Amino acid sequence: METSQKYHTCGSTLVQTIDAPLSLVWSILRRFDNPQAYKQFVKTCNLSSGDGGEGSVREVTVVSGLPAEFSRERLDELDDESHVMMISIIGGDHRLVNYRSKTMAFVAADTEEKTVVVESYVVDVPEGNSEEETTSFADTIVGFNLKSLAKLSERVAHLKL
Amino acid sequence: MAEICYEVVTDACPSSVYESTPAHSRRRPRFQTVMHEDWEKNCKRSKQEALATRYSSIPRSSREDFSDQNVDVSSPRYGVSSVCGRRREMEDAVAIHPSFSSPKNSEFPQHYFGVYDGHGCSHVAARCRERLHKLVQEELSSDMEDEEEWKTTMERSFTRMDKEVVSWGDSVVTANCKCDLQTPACDSVGSTAVVSVITPDKIVVANCGDSRAVLCRNGKPVPLSTDHKPDRPDELDRIEGAGGRVIYWDCPRVLGVLAMSRAIGDNYLKPYVSCEPEVTITDRRDDDCLILASDGLWDVVSNETACSVARMCLRGGGRRQDNEDPAISDKACTEASVLLTKLALARNSSDNVSVVVIDLRR
Repeated sequence: METSQKYHTCGSTLVQTIDAPLSLVWSILRRFDNPQAYKQFVKTCNLSSGDGGEGSVREVTVVSGLPAEFSRERLDELDDESHVMMISIIGGDHRLVNYRSKTMAFVAADTEEKTVVVESYVVDVPEGNSEEETTSFADTIVGFNLKSLAKLSERVAHLKL
Repeated sequence: MAEICYEVVTDACPSSVYESTPAHSRRRPRFQTVMHEDWEKNCKRSKQEALATRYSSIPRSSREDFSDQNVDVSSPRYGVSSVCGRRREMEDAVAIHPSFSSPKNSEFPQHYFGVYDGHGCSHVAARCRERLHKLVQEELSSDMEDEEEWKTTMERSFTRMDKEVVSWGDSVVTANCKCDLQTPACDSVGSTAVVSVITPDKIVVANCGDSRAVLCRNGKPVPLSTDHKPDRPDELDRIEGAGGRVIYWDCPRVLGVLAMSRAIGDNYLKPYVSCEPEVTITDRRDDDCLILASDGLWDVVSNETACSVARMCLRGGGRRQDNEDPAISDKACTEASVLLTKLALARNSSDNVSVVVIDLRR
């Protein structure tokens, strides 16, 4: 008898509109080797393989107070023409197992000076938690990262005026 | 192998004596508010605890019954110990300001003690250390602070401190802070704050977060603060009432992220993580000491054990001898704070540990 073990997964999509041009937003977002530029939960980041391009792996340490201390992540895809980035979490002391995200950035429909960033993810539901709890937790982290990206991009855009 | 950093801080105690006013001339109303709930974790009895218990059973010298109503208004005796422990960064901060405020028309000094346990980075706790006592000082309006006035004073001070760290983060951060590398506001940084103002006849405690104040009275612990954990029933109700949620991730956390329900800072989790302090006002009696400490201590040492250790160090809790050299009390308080810190590290506390022990014996 063959047993197929299929983990229960969940996912979500978050959208952030940023009052800054796409080229600026993407230049910050695409830096796989420097997530702490806008991700406030990241304390340090070092590449353990690769040069920041596709296939690179980074070792991230997390600031204190959060339910994790480090995370190992791989850049699966980086497309500078269609502004798409795909990242998998492949290790760490957290409970976000099989986390995979896809982030897309494009020009807002109403004005060329605005950017829309869409981040979708899927992740296993940890044992002991519900799907709703898992997306609530991940949405808090991803949502905060996107707000920080917006704040930084808008600040830099303002400085360039 | 984890490296353990160690640092002991003891400030010289300025000597000053004030003439006391006859008790009958004061019309100060007396209140006593003590938080009887004890949310502390029960520590499993261990060798260290048995050791502390044995020492604490040293016979106590009989206490003379003084009819003298005058209060001791000399400078406070205290000791501080603050260590990095097994964490790589030090994010705790301690503030001590003897005689930080002398209200108008009063000769009675008030002494300020604060412990701030930062998370996310150190600069919010550092900012609290530099500013919170000044805000309390500004908010103090009279020397006849009654219970409601103390609550208002503390609540306004904490709210102002919270607003300061939010707006201050938008301008600049200190050079030695990791956030120096970033330009975004540091919305994800916060700190606990457990503050005590000690007056000749009252102990005021204001707490926000999961640091703690414990009074040692006749060798028994009297909690003067209650930890703000997200699963505390009234905190859970407040958070959910505001539209938030508490998720048990590795422990109960607000939105699965933060393990305390109140803090200074943490703007991204407002309004679920509130900066409003809980205030207790306790009349002074024959008290041994007051212990303020971060959760690096309380997570691994019970209130009872902490009181036993402190009392042992204060020479069995007897009345402070007449004309006892102030340096002796300071040394005893420092020994108590150092011993408690070492005990926490011996019990594998994985956090920064900060302990303040204040001698309240008259």
